[in-house]
Amino acid sequence: MAGVEYDDVWKQFAAQADDKAAVRGLSLDIDDRELLVLLGPSGCGKTTALRMLAGLEEPDRGDIRIGGKSVVGLEPKDRDVALVFQSYALYPHLSAQENIRYPLKVRGLSRAEQDRKVERVADMLGIGHLLPRRPAQLSGGEQQRVALARAIVREPRVFLMDEPLSNLDAKLRVHTRTELKTLQRELGTTMVFVTHDQAEAMSLANRIAVLNAGELQQVGTPDAVYDHPANVFVAEFIGSPPMNLLKATRDADEVVVGGGWRLAAPTGSRSQGQATGDGQLIVGLRPEGIEIAAGGHPAEVIAVEPFGSEVIIDLRVGDEALKVRAAPDVRPEAGSTVGLRAHPRAVRLFDASTGLAIH
Amino acid sequence: MTATPATGVVDSAASAAAEAPLIRRPKKKAGPLEWIAVHLVFLVVCGFFLVPFLWLLSAAFDEKASAYIQWPVVPTIMNFVRLFTEHDFGRVLLNSLFVAIATMILVVIAVALAGYSLSRLDLRRKDWITYAVLLLQTMPISATMVPIYGLARQLGLRNSYLGLILIHAAIELPFLIWLMKGFFDSIPRHLEEAAWLDGRSKFRALVEIVLPLARPGLGIAAGLAFLAAWSEVLMVVILIDQQDLKTVPLAFYEAMRTQGGYTEVQYGVIAAMGVLYLLPVMVVFFGARRLMVRGLMNSTRGL
Amino acid sequence: MTAGRRTSFRRNRLYLAGLSPAAFLLALFFVGPALWALGSSFTNRALVGIDAANPRFVGLDNYARLFSDPDFARVILNSVIFVIGSAIIGQFVLGLALALLLDYAERRGFLATNLVYAAVLLAWVNPTIIAGFLWVAMFDFYNGSLNVGLSHIGLGPVDWFGSGPMLAVIIANIWRGTAFTMLIFLGALRTIPSDIYEAARVDGANAFRRFWDHTLPLLRPIAALTLLSVTMATFGTFILIQALTNGGPALQTEVIALYAYHQAFQAHAVGYGSTIAVVMLALNLGFAIVFLRWSRARA
Repeated sequence: MAGVEYDDVWKQFAAQADDKAAVRGLSLDIDDRELLVLLGPSGCGKTTALRMLAGLEEPDRGDIRIGGKSVVGLEPKDRDVALVFQSYALYPHLSAQENIRYPLKVRGLSRAEQDRKVERVADMLGIGHLLPRRPAQLSGGEQQRVALARAIVREPRVFLMDEPLSNLDAKLRVHTRTELKTLQRELGTTMVFVTHDQAEAMSLANRIAVLNAGELQQVGTPDAVYDHPANVFVAEFIGSPPMNLLKATRDADEVVVGGGWRLAAPTGSRSQGQATGDGQLIVGLRPEGIEIAAGGHPAEVIAVEPFGSEVIIDLRVGDEALKVRAAPDVRPEAGSTVGLRAHPRAVRLFDASTGLAIH
Repeated sequence: MTATPATGVVDSAASAAAEAPLIRRPKKKAGPLEWIAVHLVFLVVCGFFLVPFLWLLSAAFDEKASAYIQWPVVPTIMNFVRLFTEHDFGRVLLNSLFVAIATMILVVIAVALAGYSLSRLDLRRKDWITYAVLLLQTMPISATMVPIYGLARQLGLRNSYLGLILIHAAIELPFLIWLMKGFFDSIPRHLEEAAWLDGRSKFRALVEIVLPLARPGLGIAAGLAFLAAWSEVLMVVILIDQQDLKTVPLAFYEAMRTQGGYTEVQYGVIAAMGVLYLLPVMVVFFGARRLMVRGLMNSTRGL
Repeated sequence: MTAGRRTSFRRNRLYLAGLSPAAFLLALFFVGPALWALGSSFTNRALVGIDAANPRFVGLDNYARLFSDPDFARVILNSVIFVIGSAIIGQFVLGLALALLLDYAERRGFLATNLVYAAVLLAWVNPTIIAGFLWVAMFDFYNGSLNVGLSHIGLGPVDWFGSGPMLAVIIANIWRGTAFTMLIFLGALRTIPSDIYEAARVDGANAFRRFWDHTLPLLRPIAALTLLSVTMATFGTFILIQALTNGGPALQTEVIALYAYHQAFQAHAVGYGSTIAVVMLALNLGFAIVFLRWSRARA
């Protein structure tokens, strides 16, 4: 068990232009026993960051430490980390049992010792009956467990997971998610988990680190990242449907959104009074932060999407579109006009030119 | 030349992988010791495989060529000139070209028809035919040359280009039919079916719609057929002994045989012939290497 | 709906027609000769003389003669030695080694890989008669590159064709045919996903272990097929050996294809030569059936 530190890590691949490095100045502290999720769109550098931690790539600049000691330059095997690949990377010519046993065999453990550990892990994951089979004879979910077992059996200091759930079908994915979370808690091992699925990140993580184009956007608990996104990118990436982002201008202690809708600016010294940059703002409102109410600002209903437990309503205000979350019985007619009211505490402000949140 | 079974049955994935560009992004930099070791091995391997060709080049341009690889003692192109003036090589070369091109045309037509037909055939016993084609491909022509000689004599096909071209074509057929069948298999049927519904005859649909799509395959087949006919020795030796019908491999064959004792060989001139003979092979093969490798991987032509 | 034989035939009419030109050629030049050889093997047909005009049916005499012929026993032995030496020891092992080398070098970004690859291919793709000519020169006693090279490092000239003809012929054929196995193994190596090696690295395996535990086992299935394949290809070698030694000296390198040729065209015994051809074809057919069965099993 150990903490992990990225210290101003840079990584560029030979084919890339200078300003398009894969990982740019990443500094991140991961606590011992924490489950941290590296979240971001494809190509944002999260997998590269993970592989540098594993030792499969080396940083061009900066340091990476596990348990306080630098691991840069060390072979993967000397770092005491285990990696579960997106494709599982099971050895196709070996049985599941031999796959799980392999890292122990390489370490030179006695046959009896190997058997003991393999059995324990197989019990833990419920795959005992799968052991004699080859990977080709296993389903996706079963393969994934074997890959997991192979990682767990090594009792590493840090678990690394590279989108291990993306090849599973939706139902299995959700189910395995919960299992993983429980497992990590039980084992108490630090885990770094890479995904592009924000729902996955929200449900699993102790903390989420959001990356985009190689740069760290924000680190925080799921609640923190959801409620107080540090910039427009995070605001849009987290949450489904994503946060509504509307152009706005300031007017004293109110902000005016398209169509003349006036909202009270959130309290806080900078939000009120002083403007930053050129004064252009972006207002962020989560779909659940807006309600349909008589007497509210008029908006045209474009579509109504029922989801059983709730209803998502697409609306137009001025020339911008937004989505509102409502109770399942709220069913306005498409084309009709309804009133909107925003929760005062739901309003978030961002600078239009930098995209950064204004507090 | 010997034919081998189509390992492509098993290795289509492997051959697809082998034809991918050879250089990929390096994963890890190599240390200096490693660099030296690898290049040392490369040197030995290249040496083994290239030295004979280097000799060929050096001898072709050397008036006083010997069997030893050396910088040309008397650099000259006279060897090439003498080929054409003293040994009537021009005609021999043209003969070879004619035969190779004619074979190529015949093969491509036969193979396009056969490959397409085999692909679209809908018989219960279809597998048997494919199986039979594969089996035929494994027959070594060094075994069939004796009966082919006998047969050719009886049919009066000796010393005729008709016979030679037909036989060359036949040798190429099994493998190339199998190759083209594979290509046609990958062209979805609904394209022709749409054309049939439009009122076109099956033949027209084939020519106008399917064949253009099969062009890469036909290109490979044409290239391989040309190369094989160009290189074919055995059948030429068996069937041709008339001097003015000679093709290059036969000229080579005779040049090497008549020397006896190997010490009187006119290496220079024969080497020049070798260089010219090799030229089309280099052009066709290295020009379209990826395609050729994929084709050749599924069979071998070698003695 | 009943699909009788007749409707099935009608439906496929055009396709069967499309097959006919090829079928005609194949029948004429593959099936025909095979049958002709079979028929001839039961006669005493010759190239010249009365037996040429009126060959007599001799039943199994040719076969009896063949299998009690000590020369033929020698020929079979030669063929086996040639195949083991060239195909199994040479081409197979060298092809595998080269494939591993090139795959490794390519992963590490050595640009010279392409040159080596091209060199090996060139040896394979050039017309056999050229290969024969090149190696006649290489093995030349007085001036061949090999002997001259050897004398430079102080070793005496070797009488390749005199004292080591089988070795010479095997070397030349290895030079010629290695590309085939190399290509197959290269293809196979490339189908091994690289994240298996990464997983092995993370699991703690060093380069040797990765090769031994993963690369080799994953190559095993295709190795068996390749071995059979290259054996079949080498079995019918003719031109190369004829150009180098013509089976000599004194039958030391006479392989089965050469024997058939010599009997038919030099001893003029076409019937006897056909017998040998039939034996070759039968052996080949046996190999081919095994091969096709194995490759189907794999697929």
